[in-house]
Amino acid sequence: MRRFLCAAAFLAAALFVAPASAQDARRGSELAEGRCASCHGANGRSQLHDIPSLAGQQPGFIIVQLILMREGVRPVAAMAPFVENLPDKDIEDLAAHYASLPPGPSEDRTPRDTALFSAGQALIGPRNCAVCHMPTLVGREQMPRIIHQREEFLARTLGEYRSGQRVGADPQMNGAVVGLTNADIAALAHYLAHRD
Amino acid sequence: MHIKRLLLAMAATLVAAPAFAQAPTAPAAVPGWAIGRPEGSTLAPHAPRLTVTPLADVPVTALRLPPGFRAEVFAHGIPGTRMMTEGPNGTVFSGTRAIGRIYAITRNADGTTRTRTIAQGLNQPNGLVMVGTNLIVFAGARVLRYDNIEANLDSVPAPVDLTAAFNLPTDAEHAGNHFWKFATLGPDGRIYTNIGVNCNICTFDRDRFALLVSFNPDGSDRRIEARGVRNSVGMGIHPVTRELWATNHGRDWAGNDWPQDSLHRVRRSGEDHGFPFCSGGSADPQYNAGRACAEFTQPAALLGPHTAVLGMRFYTGTMFPEAYRNQIFIARRGSWNRDRLSGYDVVVAHLDASGNVTRVEDFMTGLRDEANNRFLDRPADVHVLRDGSLLVAGEQMGAIYRITYRQ
Repeated sequence: MRRFLCAAAFLAAALFVAPASAQDARRGSELAEGRCASCHGANGRSQLHDIPSLAGQQPGFIIVQLILMREGVRPVAAMAPFVENLPDKDIEDLAAHYASLPPGPSEDRTPRDTALFSAGQALIGPRNCAVCHMPTLVGREQMPRIIHQREEFLARTLGEYRSGQRVGADPQMNGAVVGLTNADIAALAHYLAHRD
Repeated sequence: MHIKRLLLAMAATLVAAPAFAQAPTAPAAVPGWAIGRPEGSTLAPHAPRLTVTPLADVPVTALRLPPGFRAEVFAHGIPGTRMMTEGPNGTVFSGTRAIGRIYAITRNADGTTRTRTIAQGLNQPNGLVMVGTNLIVFAGARVLRYDNIEANLDSVPAPVDLTAAFNLPTDAEHAGNHFWKFATLGPDGRIYTNIGVNCNICTFDRDRFALLVSFNPDGSDRRIEARGVRNSVGMGIHPVTRELWATNHGRDWAGNDWPQDSLHRVRRSGEDHGFPFCSGGSADPQYNAGRACAEFTQPAALLGPHTAVLGMRFYTGTMFPEAYRNQIFIARRGSWNRDRLSGYDVVVAHLDASGNVTRVEDFMTGLRDEANNRFLDRPADVHVLRDGSLLVAGEQMGAIYRITYRQ
């Protein structure tokens, strides 16, 4: 029994000794200006339908996703011209840049729907979202910040994890959304976009 | 509060064990990997590193070896390098998981190496096996054969698709769990591979999952070599006895020290090794279903809790001292489902003349930082080169180490 308590009490974080960071947020900012800002927003908060905000995103998540896109493991047509042969160094710098921007909801966010919000809130515990994304839903390492992301983007992404169209660095999100209904997904996306 | 709830949940689980063992067949509301997870635990798999690690950051100087052995960097800049195999002309091929690439590493005249990425965008191409001059790749259920590969490293032709012939459980049937493969060629010309269980622990079709299987290289004539092996990502055929040996990952969420990962010896095809009823030779706390563990084949050796034993090879070279001949080198990639890290090293299982494991000893250490409970790299596979040196794939840092011996 005691070993379970130890496991419960233990905080797993940064167990891997990463090499000295060579990431350069300023260089990342310059790279982003010409390629990323027009869709993802000059301040990293997307104003475009179905385009995710990147401000305050976990750098580890951005790095892994850009690499999976570059490698064709996660093909995204709109991103293809930008990730083709994109060097690791550029990816790391872009990630450092977006991680450094203050996060927040998009300006065109719809008003909160109390019933939908409550329905989403009720799923967070049973679906164990906080285990990986943290209780504040800001993510950690390769697991993304999901609070205040654009609602329609979250809904589409959850649906793609459910259908298997989307995979991550590992298949855990695919497992996490097994059995969610469309209504569940809509509620979760609304809650995440609107949580205080 | 968490602790109180946890105790109640555990007590309920223990009391309900016999019924629980038969009940859960419907898709679980929690992901397969999380079945049995105590509420409140923040243990989670470690983040992969998919970017190139500069040579200066590859921790080769941290490696510790027995006297007379030394380690060098054989190849680097190969993110996610895992299982290795070698072509007749000496090309080392390496598979990966998340990054979806296959690497081909050739040696230059000056002893340095050159790495090419010969395939990318694959779904966890972890299992690689050479059959003659052809490279066969297992990427989940997908099986691809790259013919005459060493002659075509610069313009790799489209592979022959053998997926239908092998007819492995689909990635969807695995539901994200243990669908990646290990593959090796037996002296009988058959390919040996694993079909991992489609959950952390559950009730499942024991003729379909948690198996070691073998095939003809064209995918025909499937044979079950062993049942009840949860997930083996390392196998080898004993060079003298011709018996199949395999490493096996134990389940998660049953505590820091249970079960131990294990080494298995298959004396006869089709033997039952006991998962999910028993792991590491003892009863599962939730899924034992009243079975006596003695009725199953016992592990040949216990290899430590959650150590993540992966690639294993019999040492068939002559460079290392005679004491290592036909002994088993095993890569332990290292734990995540444990408070204190375990593994992150290479061990040797020593066998006596009748093929019993007499001891398991450390061989390559230094990657686990005990004081800070951190790790420097994760050994995923070992491979004996023709000159008798030993390659160790460091998945986290994207480097392959080469270990040599000189008296």
